[in-house]
Amino acid sequence: MGEDLASLGLPDGVARRAHAEEPVDGVPVATTLAPETPEALAATLRVLDEAGLAALPRGAGTQLGLGNPPRRADAFVSLEKLDDVEVLDRAEGVCHAAAGVPLEALRGLVAESGWELPLDDASRGGTLGGALASVAVAPRAAGFGRPRDAVLGLEVALVDGSLTSCGGRVVKNVTGYDLAKLYLGSLGALGVITSAWLRLRPRPEAREVLTGSPLADRQACERAVAWSRGAALRSVFFRDTGSGLEPWVELAGDTVSVSGELERLGGEGLVRAEPADRDAAAARRFAASEDSARYAVSCLPARLGACVAALRESGAALMLLPGSNLVIARPDAGCDADEGFAVAARAAEAGGGRFLCEAAPPAHKAGRDVFAAPASEVALSRSLKAQFDPKGTLNPGRFAGGV
Amino acid sequence: MGPSAELVRALEAVVGPERCLSRRDELLVYECDGLTLHTADPSAVVFPESTAEVQDLVRACRRIGVPFVPRGAGTGLSGGALADEGAVVIECSRLNRIRSIDPENRIAVVEPGVVNADLSVAAAPHGLFYAPDPSSQLACTLGGNVAENSGGPHTLKYGTTTNHVLDLEWVLPDGELVELGSASGFAPGFDWVGAAVGSEGTLGIATAITVRLEPLPEAVETLLAIFGDVVSACRAVGRIIESGLVPAALEIVDQRTIRAVEDSVYAAGLPRDAGAVLIVELDGPRRALPPQVERVRELCAEAGGERVEVARDEAERTRFWRARKGAFGAMGRLAPDLYVHDAVVPRTALPEVLAKVCEIGDRHGLTLSNVFHAGDGNLHPNISFDRRDPDELARVMRAGSEILEACVAAGGVITGEHGVGSEKREFMELVFSEADLAAMARLRDCFDPDRVCNPGKIFPTTRFCAESNPKARGYDRVPLG
Repeated sequence: MGEDLASLGLPDGVARRAHAEEPVDGVPVATTLAPETPEALAATLRVLDEAGLAALPRGAGTQLGLGNPPRRADAFVSLEKLDDVEVLDRAEGVCHAAAGVPLEALRGLVAESGWELPLDDASRGGTLGGALASVAVAPRAAGFGRPRDAVLGLEVALVDGSLTSCGGRVVKNVTGYDLAKLYLGSLGALGVITSAWLRLRPRPEAREVLTGSPLADRQACERAVAWSRGAALRSVFFRDTGSGLEPWVELAGDTVSVSGELERLGGEGLVRAEPADRDAAAARRFAASEDSARYAVSCLPARLGACVAALRESGAALMLLPGSNLVIARPDAGCDADEGFAVAARAAEAGGGRFLCEAAPPAHKAGRDVFAAPASEVALSRSLKAQFDPKGTLNPGRFAGGV
Repeated sequence: MGPSAELVRALEAVVGPERCLSRRDELLVYECDGLTLHTADPSAVVFPESTAEVQDLVRACRRIGVPFVPRGAGTGLSGGALADEGAVVIECSRLNRIRSIDPENRIAVVEPGVVNADLSVAAAPHGLFYAPDPSSQLACTLGGNVAENSGGPHTLKYGTTTNHVLDLEWVLPDGELVELGSASGFAPGFDWVGAAVGSEGTLGIATAITVRLEPLPEAVETLLAIFGDVVSACRAVGRIIESGLVPAALEIVDQRTIRAVEDSVYAAGLPRDAGAVLIVELDGPRRALPPQVERVRELCAEAGGERVEVARDEAERTRFWRARKGAFGAMGRLAPDLYVHDAVVPRTALPEVLAKVCEIGDRHGLTLSNVFHAGDGNLHPNISFDRRDPDELARVMRAGSEILEACVAAGGVITGEHGVGSEKREFMELVFSEADLAAMARLRDCFDPDRVCNPGKIFPTTRFCAESNPKARGYDRVPLG
C-alpha cells in the first residue's frame, strides 16, 4: 500500500508514515497521511478518491472503536498537523480552531481567556475534530448541551478536493442548510472537518462536586431525574460499583445558585468530593475492555426505570447519564452479540429511545449495524452518502446503516 | 390561466372540494407571505387534516408534475411560502392538534398548524413553556417555525427552534412517511432533525413535531436601560456578554422606533429624547437574580447609560416589552409599507455596523429604524416606504443590498431568523462559495432531486429576484395616490 501511495502523486505538504498495520476493528491500515494544511488535506482526499483507496480520518485515535468495521481501510488521514487556534475572541465568546487541536489544550486556552469550552470528552485525550466527528455524549452534556449546540460553523474537506464551509462565526444563523448538523457525529462519512467555529460559555463563578453512597437501581432512577433537573447542574452520573449505583453530581454556575443546590443536595445525602475523583469516575465508562461490548441506550426520563430493568436482565453493569437521557451498559462478558443487541433493543423500546453499540470486539459487530438505524433512515443515509461520497472513499461502511 | 382540471380533480379526490381552492379570487390571499414585495400565483391551495392526506396530496402533485409548497400561517418574512412555478400550496392550518403534552418527560407532540403561543399556554398549567418566541408568535405556527428555524427575543439564552425539536414525523417529497430523530433526544446516525429544521420547506413536510418544553423560570427581572445614543447601548450589550452574564433577552430599540412607538397605541411611556433603550431580561432561581440585576446596572452605567429602571410588577414588565413588541405595528404609522430586514453580525461589530446601516438609510433618503436582538447580534433594520413610488422602492432595494453587504463584510451573515426564501437567494453568494452551495445542493438532491418541494428558494439563480419573479414587478399595479 505504501508503494501504491507513493506513486499516486500526493500533493506537497503531506507527510507519509508507513507503520505496522494498525487495525481498526480488525481491518489493518498500513499508512498514515498527515497533510499540513486544509488545502493539502482536501487534495489528498481527491487523490485517494480517484485512486479508489479508502481514507479513514484520524484525530488522536481515541475513538477508532466507534462505528461499524470498515469495509476497506487503505490510509489514515491524520489531522495531527492542523492544530492552530486561529481566533480566540474574548469579547465575543467565540473561537476558531483547527480540527487537530487537542481538546485539553484548547480547553486550557479558552479558560485563560475567561471562557469555558462546552465540549466534554471525559478526559480521554481526544482532538477537537474527533469530538465533533464522533459526538460521543459525555456527562457534562447535561450542562453544556450537545456538541451540536456549541458549533457555529465548520470547514469541511470533501472527496472531490473542495474545501467547503457551512454556518459561520455568529451565534445566530439560518443562512442556507445547516449542513454542520450532518457532518457532526457522522465519523467523516461525508467529509473531513478541518476546523470549527465554536460558541464558548461563560466560565462559572463556582463549581462543586458531590458524591454519595451507592444506591439500589430503583432509588437511583428516582433521584436521577430530579437531580438532573436542578439549577446549576453541570453533570450527573451514577457509576456501577458492583454494590449499587454511586452518584456523582457536578454543579457550576453563579455562586448563589451553586450554594443553593449544594445545600439542597446535601440534604439528600450527597457530600462534597474532589473534582479529580469525579473525573476519574467519569472516565471509567471508556476503560478498555477488549472482549466485551458497550452500549448507549436512550430513554425518556419517566421510563428510565424500565430501561434499567431491561438491561439488568442481562446482568449488565451500568452507568446512568440522566442529564442526557442515556444509560451506558456493559453486558456480562458471557453475553454474545445476538443477545447483546437484543437486550439493548428491548431496553431502548422500554425506554422509548434508541441505542448504539459504542464499542465491541470486531466479531461482535460483524454483520450488524452498531447504530441500529431504522430502515427509513438507512435509505436516506445511503442516498446522502451517494451524493457526497459516491465511491465510498471516506470511512467506508463505518457509519449508520453501513454507509 | 387557472389550474388544470386534472390537477383540481386529483386534489379534490384527496380533500374534497370544500378544502381545495382553485378560483383566481380565492387564491389571491396566498400569493405572498409576510414579505409582500414578492408574489406568485399558486395553482391551488389545499387544506389537509391528516398526515395521510398530506402524503396523498404530495403523491397527487408528483403524479401530475406540479410542485408544491407547505405553508403555515404565512407570517414568514423571506418569501419562503411563495408558490413559485405555480406550486400547489399545502396549507397546514387544519393540522392543528396538540397531540400530547407529557409533563413528566417535558415534551409535547404537536401538529404543524399549532400556533406557537398556544403551545406555551397549554403547557403553562404544568409549569412548562415552549421557549422559541418569534415576534409573530401569536399567529405563526410551529410547522413554519420548524421550516425557518425561527428564533425570537429569548433565543439568546434558550436557543432557536433547532435546539428544541427532538423528533419529526416527516413526509418526504415522494410522499413516503418517515420518522426522524427520537423523543429521547438521542438518535444515533445522521442528525436528520438538525438538517430538516431550517430547510425552509424544501426537504419535505413536517406533520408532527416533538418538542422539548422548558420549566417556567422561578423568577424574572426585566430592566429598561436608557441611553443617549444607540452606540452606547451596543457597548453595554458587549460588556454584558463579556461579563459572563447570560440574560434571557437583550433587545435594543433605537430613537426612531421609540418615537414611532410613543406616537402609537403601543406607547410605553419611553422618553422620546432617548437615543436608544436596552431591554434586559434575566431569569432563573429567585435568589440568584438580585446580584445579576446590580451587575447589569453597573455595566450599563459604565457604557454610558443614563438610567436603568427595573420592572416592579408584571404590568410594568409588559409595558417595557410593549416598546419592543409594538414596534412593527407602530411603524404602520410611518408609511404604507415596511421592509423588515434580518442579518447577523458579531456582537462586537454592532456599533460600527449599526452606524453604517443608518448611513446607508440616510444616503438613500429613507426612513430607517432599528429594533433588534442585540444579544445575538441579530439586526432588524426596518425601512418604511411606499411601494407605489417606484423611485423610493428602487432605493429601498439598493439600501437593502448594501446593508447585507455591510453585515457580511463585518463577519456576519444575511439572515439570523427569517430564512433565505426567495428574498435573499441571490445574496447567498455573498456568504458562500460555489463549492459550499454545491454541498447544500447535494443535501437537496438526497431528498428532492426533481426540485418539486418548494422550488425557487434558498439557491441563487443566475438572475436577480425581480427578473426571475415577474410578479415581483407587479406591485406597481397598485394605483398611486
